[in-house]
Amino acid sequence: MNATATGRKKKSGWRGYAIWFILPAFLLYSLFVMTPTLSSIYLSFTSWDGISENIRYIGWDNFKEIGESPRVHNALKNTILVAIALVLLENVVALALAILVDQVRWFRNLFRSIFYFPVLMSGIIMGFIWMIILNYNFGVVNQLLDTVGLSSLKTDWLGNPDYALLSIILSTVWKASGYYMIIYLAGLQGIPQELLEAASIDGAGKWKQFRHVTFPLLAGATTVCVMLSMINSLKLFDQIAVMTNGGPGFATETLTYIIYRVAFGEGRQGFGTALAMVLFALILIISLVQIRLLRKREVQM
Amino acid sequence: MGKTAKKPVTTGNVVLFAITLAIALVFVFPIAFNMMSAFKSNAEILRDAIALPSGFYTESFKYLLTKTDYPRAMLNSGILTVGSIAAMVVVIPMAAYAIERTNRKWTNAIYIYFLFGMMVPFQVYMIPLFKQLNMMGLFGNLLGPIMIYIAGSVGFGVLLYTSFLKGVPREIEESAEIDGSTRLRMFWTIVFPLLGPVTASMVVLQGLGIWNDFLMPMLVLPSGETKTMIVELFYYVGEFSSRWDMIFAGTTMSLVPVLIAFLSLQKYFVKGVSSGAIKG
Repeated sequence: MNATATGRKKKSGWRGYAIWFILPAFLLYSLFVMTPTLSSIYLSFTSWDGISENIRYIGWDNFKEIGESPRVHNALKNTILVAIALVLLENVVALALAILVDQVRWFRNLFRSIFYFPVLMSGIIMGFIWMIILNYNFGVVNQLLDTVGLSSLKTDWLGNPDYALLSIILSTVWKASGYYMIIYLAGLQGIPQELLEAASIDGAGKWKQFRHVTFPLLAGATTVCVMLSMINSLKLFDQIAVMTNGGPGFATETLTYIIYRVAFGEGRQGFGTALAMVLFALILIISLVQIRLLRKREVQM
Repeated sequence: MGKTAKKPVTTGNVVLFAITLAIALVFVFPIAFNMMSAFKSNAEILRDAIALPSGFYTESFKYLLTKTDYPRAMLNSGILTVGSIAAMVVVIPMAAYAIERTNRKWTNAIYIYFLFGMMVPFQVYMIPLFKQLNMMGLFGNLLGPIMIYIAGSVGFGVLLYTSFLKGVPREIEESAEIDGSTRLRMFWTIVFPLLGPVTASMVVLQGLGIWNDFLMPMLVLPSGETKTMIVELFYYVGEFSSRWDMIFAGTTMSLVPVLIAFLSLQKYFVKGVSSGAIKG
């Protein structure tokens, strides 16, 4: 009798551990992620300035302003432009790099490391280096244009509103493509060699093999890379902070950047959180689409 | 890899190699340019940016290390990275283990609740978080960012660990139960060592992210003793706007630890990426 009682007690101790194992993660996550996220939803309906004690509820006014402000529209336009450009360019470059690394005969691992290394750099440091390379007076790009006799093409790459966003996009492609390359490379290496051999026996050239065998089999990797690059492009921040600070004027202001500038530069935290809600909605939609697409693919496989 | 070893070299091989090499040079150039320029004086840099350094000029490094807050900032970045990672690797696998092995309604609900965090970008909650840290007296304290990093990695970490735990057999744990070991002790001595691959991915991915992070440390550790290295470097742009030698030397010093980590842990970096690919 006594023995079974202690046995049961011990057993319930062994079973009842779960709550204690989960508790630290649960508390930290609730306190530092969920609480501020929920406060954000509330603050987006206020005109809070970040300092004053009294937080005034103003209903949908912030969202009305988002609908009307040309500056916000410009930032949204930039965000979409950056997202489309980065998704296309990063994926094309990444796939090309993956194919090169997969096919090249010598120094494969070295090449892979070289293409991957920029991924490991902070956006701030990468932004610095490119800012100096693109500098009007002393930068490498303009010096190079001078040497090859194309001085007429010289411009202030980051100071000219027509080129500033393009410069940020291209340098980000340089930084980020290696990441997606690794994912494509894993996909390429998972393609059974026999399939390609069979296609080549059937008379398919290299391009046809790629178009009809390799590329369709990379569908899973492509879905992942497209979704990830889209979400990451929406979060782009460090490069802009270093290279242009959103300028010249508002030329390189994106959604994440305008949130930061409005909330911490202009003391309009209520409006900043309302903008943050727009970002949240965008990322939520993309994530849900991604989950759906991936599920569908899994079923097909 | 080995399959082409015996085949004769074709023109195609050489052309492909030449193309790859050319692209690789474009990728290496900005980093090589940065490291090379760190050994040039400011006058040399402004005279000809592409020229090789005339000597081994190390004054910028000396200046940064002795006359500025740079060493302190590097130490702060190190403390943040190591401290957060160490805590993450304790807190997250335990939660994931309890969720995966219990598999009840309430643990599933917590699992979904945690995963939701993966979809919330930092910018969405940074504004109230800033105020909250102030209220908690954690503003300008390294402990604040450490807790924020752990909290921010719960969703992704729990997902990684639970999916790996599905493949870890329970039999060993049951025999430990019969032996009368406590759950906590059993977890750390038997289960945790089996989770090595996930832990390695976590350490590499999150460690790099924290070392390189900018926005959050800039907001909550903006000045003085607790500034991180990346934030310090960011302020150099304004402060040393005409002293590129300082900026080059600073960025080079921040890249060296990353380079060393990458070269020695390359395998985990590559694996970490593929496991990171499921992050939404």
